[in-house]
Amino acid sequence: MKNATFEPLRWQEDPVRVTIFHEAEHHEACFQVTAPKDMALICKGRPVEELPRILSMLSPAHHLVSAMALDNLFGVEPPPMALNMREGLLQAQVFSHHLRKLYFYLSSWINPFSEYGRRGNPKGPSMLSPHFLDEIMHHEALSQEAAIILGGRVHHPLSAVAGGVSRFLKEDHYFRLSEIGEFCLKFAMRMGEFLRDEIFGDGKTLDGFETFCIEPMASMTLGEKNGSVVLNDHLGKEMDRFTSDMMFKKIGLYNASWSHEPFACINRKSDTEKSDNGTGKRERGNRFHFEFPISNPEFFFVGPLARLNGGEALLYPMAEEERQRLITALGPFPHFGVVAAYWALLVELLQAAEKMTELYVQEKLTGPAIRTIPSKIGQMGHAALESPQGLIYHHYGTDEKGIVEEIEVLGTETANNALHCFLTQKAVEISQSREEPWKETQNRIEISLLPF
Amino acid sequence: MGTNTVPNKKLAIFTATGCRACENAILDIHYQVNSLARYADIIFWPYVLGSQWKDLEVQDGLDVCFFSGAIRTVSDREAAVKLREKSRIMVALGACAAFGGLPGLGNLSRSRGPGKPSQPKPDDPEHALEEANPRLSTLEPRVSGLSQIVKVDYFVPGCPPPQNFLWAAIQSLVCEGRAPARLSFSTARLPEAIAQAITSGILPPKGSVFAGEKAVCATCSRVKEEKRFETYKRPYQKYEALGRCLLEQGLLCQGITTMGGCGGLCTAMAQPCRGCFGKVDAIFDPGAKMVSAIASTFDLDDAREIDALVDNFVDLAGTFYRYTLPTQCTLFSTPSKD
Repeated sequence: MKNATFEPLRWQEDPVRVTIFHEAEHHEACFQVTAPKDMALICKGRPVEELPRILSMLSPAHHLVSAMALDNLFGVEPPPMALNMREGLLQAQVFSHHLRKLYFYLSSWINPFSEYGRRGNPKGPSMLSPHFLDEIMHHEALSQEAAIILGGRVHHPLSAVAGGVSRFLKEDHYFRLSEIGEFCLKFAMRMGEFLRDEIFGDGKTLDGFETFCIEPMASMTLGEKNGSVVLNDHLGKEMDRFTSDMMFKKIGLYNASWSHEPFACINRKSDTEKSDNGTGKRERGNRFHFEFPISNPEFFFVGPLARLNGGEALLYPMAEEERQRLITALGPFPHFGVVAAYWALLVELLQAAEKMTELYVQEKLTGPAIRTIPSKIGQMGHAALESPQGLIYHHYGTDEKGIVEEIEVLGTETANNALHCFLTQKAVEISQSREEPWKETQNRIEISLLPF
Repeated sequence: MGTNTVPNKKLAIFTATGCRACENAILDIHYQVNSLARYADIIFWPYVLGSQWKDLEVQDGLDVCFFSGAIRTVSDREAAVKLREKSRIMVALGACAAFGGLPGLGNLSRSRGPGKPSQPKPDDPEHALEEANPRLSTLEPRVSGLSQIVKVDYFVPGCPPPQNFLWAAIQSLVCEGRAPARLSFSTARLPEAIAQAITSGILPPKGSVFAGEKAVCATCSRVKEEKRFETYKRPYQKYEALGRCLLEQGLLCQGITTMGGCGGLCTAMAQPCRGCFGKVDAIFDPGAKMVSAIASTFDLDDAREIDALVDNFVDLAGTFYRYTLPTQCTLFSTPSKD
C-alpha cells in the first residue's frame, strides 16, 4: 500500500521521487531518479575534444576529469602551470560546493528567500542570523569568482582542454586570486567555529540525527600517492587497489526498472556467472537488473566521508586538526552517520581553503606554456578524479578521426545511488518510529541525503 | 505581502530535465534575490524550498514562472502544462528550456529517439507487478524545448544565463518598475526594450529575448583581420590563444550566427562559441548560415581539394546545433506553440 510520495526533493541535483510503501507495520522507501541523463546519446558522434564542455553539465568537476581523459587519449602531459590552474579550479569548486551544502543545511529551518523579519527560526541554531547566511553566500560568490578566473564560468567551465588550459591568466588575476584564497581561509575557520559551537559540539549535534547511521559499507577513493583507485571495506581497511583503467572491470553498473540512475557494485568474479544469487538481481538478456527493494553487500559509496574513511592523516594542518576533533567527538574512522558526513564537509572546506592559499600565488600560475599540443589523435582515453561530490571516472573510445564511439562515465550519483536508497530507508524508519508527520519525514530524508 | 500596498508577486522556479545550473545561477544572485522578498513571494521552488506539487495546487495562480530544463519525459510535459496554466507569465530560462539545450543532441542519435520507453505496456505480464511497485514516467519520443509544448512569453537564454540578464528578467517581469535603483545592474548595457521595462515598469513585448541585440561577434574582443576562413582546425590543434579571431584561425566558432549578450565569454577563454544564446533574429537556420558563411570564404576550384577539405569537417550538426537542435534546426524542429 502506498502511503506517501515526496516529489521533488530539496537540494538534489537529479529530479528525484521518494515513494513510501506501508505493509504489515513496515515502511519500505523507494528512492527514484526520474529522468535519464542520456550522456551516451548526447556524446556519441561528437568530436572527442568537445567532451569537457559537454560533460560539464553533469557537474563542473566533470569538465576537469574529461580534460584529463583527453590528456590520456592524446598522449600529452600538461605543463605544470596548467596542472596548477586545473587544481586551483578544482579547489574553488570544492569550496563552493561544500559551502553551498552547509548553507542549504543551515537555511533548512527557514525560507532564505523571505524578508529577514518574516523568516522565523523555530528550530534552528539560535546564533544563526540572516547576516551569517548572507556572509556564507558572499564567500560562495568569492570562490565562484576564483572559479571564473580559472575556468571561465562557474557551472560549466571552459578552460581545461586536451594538454592543458586554454589561456594564460592576466596580471590582475594573480592579486585577486591570492586575496580570495585568504578570505576563503578566514571564513572557513569562522565557519568551523560556528559549526562546532552550534551544530557539532557538546551534544548539540544535528537534532534527531545524533545516532543516524546506515549499515557499514565499503568506500571508494583515489589514492593520494600514485593515482590508483582504492577500495576500502566497511571496516575502513584496504581491500583492493587498482589503476583507474580497470574501473569497469572492478565496478559493474546495474540497471533498475524503477530508476533512471544505475547502481554501481563491486564486481566479484562469480557475479558474471550468476543470474540470481538471492541478492535481488535477475538477468535480462546479458545484463543484470535490480528489483526493488535493493539489498547487496557489494555496494560502496564515494564522497567527502568516504575520503576520510580510509583513516589517513591529512597534509594540511587546519583540516587535520578538524579531522582530529571529529575523531575525538565521534570516534575513529570509518563512520557512516549523518553527523560525520556534515563534519567531513567542514574538514574538506578547510582543506580546500588551505590548498587555495597555497596554489593562488603568481609563481604557481605562471609559466612559458599553457598547453602541450597533441601530435596525433588517440583512440582510447580515461581518467579518474576526486570531485567535490566524490570519485568520478570517464572512459572514451574514438574512431580514427577522434569521433566518440564509446563513452562510459561513473558519476557520483551512480556510485552513491545505493547509499541514497539506504539513507532514505533509514530516515523513514526513524521518522516513523517517532511518529513524525510526513512533512517531517521528508525533511529528515532531505537533511540525511544532503552531506553525501 | 510586503510593506508596500501592492500585493507581492507570486513566483515559481522549476527545472525539468537538465542540470541545476540555471537554478544555481539564481541562487548566485542571492543578495539581490533576498532584496526581492519585498516584492515577490517564491511560492514554488522544489530545489531550494522543497515545494511539492500539492503546494501549487492550492494556489489560485502565479504571476511569473521561470522554467528551466528540456522536455524529456511525460512528467516534464505535464509539469510544463500545469505551470503554464497557473502562470500569467511563462519564462523559458536557460538554453535547455529555450531551445532544447544539450539534452536535445540526443535527437541526433540513430535510434531516432532519445531512448526506450521505460514502462511496461499494459498487456505486459509485468504490468500488474509494476502497479504495486515504483514506476517511472514514460519518456517522450524526442527532446523538446519548452516553447514546443506550451506558449512561452519570454526567453532568457544561455547555459546558464549570465547574471545580468537573469537579474534584468527578474526586475522587469517581477518588480515591474518597483525595484530600487541600488538593485539595478547598469541598464545601459541592456537592449533598449528591456532597459525601458526595468525603469518604467511596463512589461517588455511578449516574446522578448533577454539577450543582446547583435551577434556575439559584435562584442567579441578578438581581432578580426581578413574575415576569411582559409583552413580548418579542431580545438585540440594549435591556434593562437590570444588576439586573433578564432574563425579566421580555422576554428568553427559560431559567433557570427549567435545572439550576443554573453560578452564573448567563451571566445575570451580562447574557446569557440557554441551558440548557447540561440540564433540572431535575422537568421533562419544557424547551421545553414554557418555552412554558407564558411563555404563562401574558401577560394578553391579543384574538386579533389574541395572533397579533401569537406572530408576534414566533423559533426557539423552536433556543432552548429549544440544547444538548439530541437527548436532551431529546420530539418529537426517542430513548430512552437506561439
